[in-house]
Amino acid sequence: MPSSQQVLEALGGIKDPDLGRDVVSLGMIKELEVSPEGKVSFTFELTTPACPVRDRFKSQAEDAVGGIAGVTGVEVRMTANVRPAFLRPKPSEILPGVKQTIAVASGKGGVGKSTVAVNLAAALSRSGAAVGLLDADIYGPSVPVMTGSRRVPQQVNGRLLPIDAHGMKLMSFGQINPSDEPTIYRGPMVGKAIEAMMVQVDWGILDYLVIDLPPGTGDASLTLAQVVPLTGVAIVCTPQDVATDIAVKALQMFRKLNVTPLGLIENMSWYVCPECGHRHEIFSHGGAEAAAKRLGVPFLGAIPLEEGIREDADSGTPVVISRPESAGAKAFVAIASQVAARTSIQSFRQLPVINVH
Amino acid sequence: MEITWEDGAQSTYSAEQLRWACPCAECRGEGGSPGRLSRVKTLSDAELRVQDVTLVGQYALQIAFESGHATGLYTFSMLRRLGTTDRR
Repeated sequence: MPSSQQVLEALGGIKDPDLGRDVVSLGMIKELEVSPEGKVSFTFELTTPACPVRDRFKSQAEDAVGGIAGVTGVEVRMTANVRPAFLRPKPSEILPGVKQTIAVASGKGGVGKSTVAVNLAAALSRSGAAVGLLDADIYGPSVPVMTGSRRVPQQVNGRLLPIDAHGMKLMSFGQINPSDEPTIYRGPMVGKAIEAMMVQVDWGILDYLVIDLPPGTGDASLTLAQVVPLTGVAIVCTPQDVATDIAVKALQMFRKLNVTPLGLIENMSWYVCPECGHRHEIFSHGGAEAAAKRLGVPFLGAIPLEEGIREDADSGTPVVISRPESAGAKAFVAIASQVAARTSIQSFRQLPVINVH
Repeated sequence: MEITWEDGAQSTYSAEQLRWACPCAECRGEGGSPGRLSRVKTLSDAELRVQDVTLVGQYALQIAFESGHATGLYTFSMLRRLGTTDRR
């Protein structure tokens, strides 16, 4: 009968490509049992259900343990437990049950940031994570339409309950103020409104809170970076120079505020004509990847320009849910995995420790 | 106050040192006019006692003194510099 020690030694040869350490020392192997007949079973706990190497880990684990002399069977239970990005210095009232906060920003407007945020959240949710989506675009809230959630949130004990839609928890100024009336706020009011959406909303326990930021490098982004310990920010842009140049500015702003850039996403990257099948690169192509390389940040992926993405956004169901087989949906799912992987890395990073006497 | 940095380095700060380093516009001056710290020679005891330290996002600490002065955001890069040039 093989010993637990032998099993752990064999599994110790599996390295997490993102975290750069072996899966045993990362504490991913749990509930290990070896039966007298040589049957080995254990739980393989990933840091995210959207793990891009999930299947590879499973087969690597089966092969590694199956190769030990005396093993007659291997049962690997794949689970995931998202780890919090930061151990808070004191119990804070800001998002106490939220493990990871991911901001989606752009610099330039109109590049599809909200569409990306909605589909990113939906893809993470479909992978099995508990996901919230906060629409921090006070002036132009698009999340309610894109998710079919134009309902006024309920209030319980003086706190707002997020709207439930497509298995996600949503909160947007478009729900608090759902009419055609515009929100006419000066800067400081925007900050207060965003803070209120975090403090006064009962988000509960979430693996990921995706935050859809308004374009630009102003009040909303600053407030967010000051109030919440953000795990990181994903920057969306279209391939042409006028968009990538401003995306770079947004990224540098977050760097100054010590918010980790998770990477760049290229939206509207190409268009396949349904008539002729020819691939057109309307806004050029590869601009975000080149900018990412220049800045030394990951390139998270490219999303095609598809009528279906727009149609589904207008009808209130993210394309990731309504047409999971489409090229657009697949691109979003792949990007969500990359974002989740980059986010997990942040949980293992060393942070400064502050002591006050 | 003590900070242990990601790379293991340690910095120690006295409340007095932190107060005199306050980076806020009132203390430093703005638009060409000198700030309060360049005008005064001494500070009262209440101004030199730290009451609270809070984290601002991930880039700075907000330090509140017993006098009520709390407008300075001490960025980590500034604190690191301050910690290494410490002569105590």
